[in-house]
Amino acid sequence: MIRVEGLQKVYGGFEAVRGISFEVGRGEVVGLLGPNGAGKTTTMRIVCGCIGATAGRALIDGRDVLEDPRGVKRRVGYLPEVPPVYPTMTVEDYVRFAATIKEVDDPEAAADRAIGRVGLAEVRHRVIDHLSKGYRQRVGLAQALVHDPDVLVLDEPTSGLDPAQRVEIRELLRDLAAGERTVILSTHILPEVEAVAERVIIMHQGRVVAQDRIDALESGGAVRLRVARPGPEAEQALRAVPGVSEVEGRPDGRIDLRIDGSDDTRAAVAAAAVPFGLLELTGGDNLEAVYLRLTAGGEGPDPRENFGRGGVSSTVEA
Amino acid sequence: MRAILAIARRELDQYFATPMGWLCLCGFVLVTGFFFALMTSDYAMQASQAAFDPYSQGQINVNDWLIAPFFGNTAVILLLLCPALSMRLFAEDRRQRSMELLLSSPVSSAQIVLGKYLGALGFLVVMLAATLHYSFILHWLGRPDPGILASNYLATFLMAACFMAVGMLASAFTDNQIVALVVSFGGLLALWVLSWADAIAPSGWGTVLADISMLSHLEQLTKGLLHLQDIVYYLSFIGFFVFATWQRVEAWRWQ
Repeated sequence: MIRVEGLQKVYGGFEAVRGISFEVGRGEVVGLLGPNGAGKTTTMRIVCGCIGATAGRALIDGRDVLEDPRGVKRRVGYLPEVPPVYPTMTVEDYVRFAATIKEVDDPEAAADRAIGRVGLAEVRHRVIDHLSKGYRQRVGLAQALVHDPDVLVLDEPTSGLDPAQRVEIRELLRDLAAGERTVILSTHILPEVEAVAERVIIMHQGRVVAQDRIDALESGGAVRLRVARPGPEAEQALRAVPGVSEVEGRPDGRIDLRIDGSDDTRAAVAAAAVPFGLLELTGGDNLEAVYLRLTAGGEGPDPRENFGRGGVSSTVEA
Repeated sequence: MRAILAIARRELDQYFATPMGWLCLCGFVLVTGFFFALMTSDYAMQASQAAFDPYSQGQINVNDWLIAPFFGNTAVILLLLCPALSMRLFAEDRRQRSMELLLSSPVSSAQIVLGKYLGALGFLVVMLAATLHYSFILHWLGRPDPGILASNYLATFLMAACFMAVGMLASAFTDNQIVALVVSFGGLLALWVLSWADAIAPSGWGTVLADISMLSHLEQLTKGLLHLQDIVYYLSFIGFFVFATWQRVEAWRWQ
């Protein structure tokens, strides 16, 4: 549904996005993660046709965003980080305006549907400036939904909201993601991604550093063993298991491993450890740990530095 | 077309949703009203004096002595007001990030620019319509030439449309409305007074400068003379600035 190929964006001399590629299938909900300045917003703006890429291209359903911007934009709904609302308009007027410029056949009916969908019915005649932040966010969502797009691109839809509002928006997102709609969602809040997305793309310094299913990312990575007879022989045996990329013995007798995500590798590791008296096998990073490890860079020592870098999952790109 | 009109309609509504629009409209009506009253009574005095003077009797008439100078003053008032009306066209959209809605919608940069410009012209029409009662008063008091009145309205509208086009371009270069205001006012003032340089500029250059100046093209129109070259001047002036704004908005996508 969405295909991004070698996308690059340079602002002035600064390379915000450095040749990234990824794909999102129809009906998929994908979380775009990364610290501030990772290039998430730039990527989303290019996918929505707001700005042009310096190199590479973005395709929506096989159509190039730059070659057929109108065709693509008719099928994409975009909610920027700051809802693009006109504060002096009423909710109803605003959503109708959005419906009209998005070339909906019957703007009024479409606006009514969108307003009902995001739960703005009771404030529809109020001026947007007088609404709370949570409601403004909903107005932004109504604008993104009004033309019933196949693809929804949401840039931090819950930023700046209080916990109750966040839960409401999250419920709404889950509702919107149901069905055939493809959703890309960027956020800082990891539990939110886990609540709505199946897959994540992690960006750091303009590059995609990992993209995989959340469960694969979590199960991939770290495994810690405790065996009765640790030592170089045990480490050697574990290193020989296919899918194990790193083995490191610790002074306390435990062994840290980095493996690919598959359960086969896990089973093979367990089998290889049994001759040395396997006592305990724990592991699996949570998404947060994966995220922190992949996006660490230049900001003090990484707490998990002893695990090394790279080789997190089968689809890691340098 | 529907998108252009929707954008234009929104821009026009925006003027009535903010104090700035109402302030400019009320200020415009008040100041032109003041000038109209002042100039009408002044003209009445001159006319009654001329009635006893056989020499100037044939010279004085309402078209040249009242209507033309009144619209000349109106143009100066619009020179002051238009930058305040055009400053928000793009600067506000960028500041409050609502530009993203337009950029992510299936409308082209040209449609956005045309829509916004038409919205601004719409407000201009409202402002000029608010002065229509002066011409009824003139018809009640005397016998003005309707043709001259109409061509003065046309001249004022074209002139102010030029002001708006310059202001729109200035607004597309910044997200700060005050900067847009100052830049467009400065630019307009420079274009306005260019014809005065006629006197000091070396020969040849003076006429070129006068040809570029907006003021010199106003002269014939205020007399009720529609010259193609003046109309073409104003339309190409507007066309140039609208085109430049379009290019500017298009460039945002590539910066």
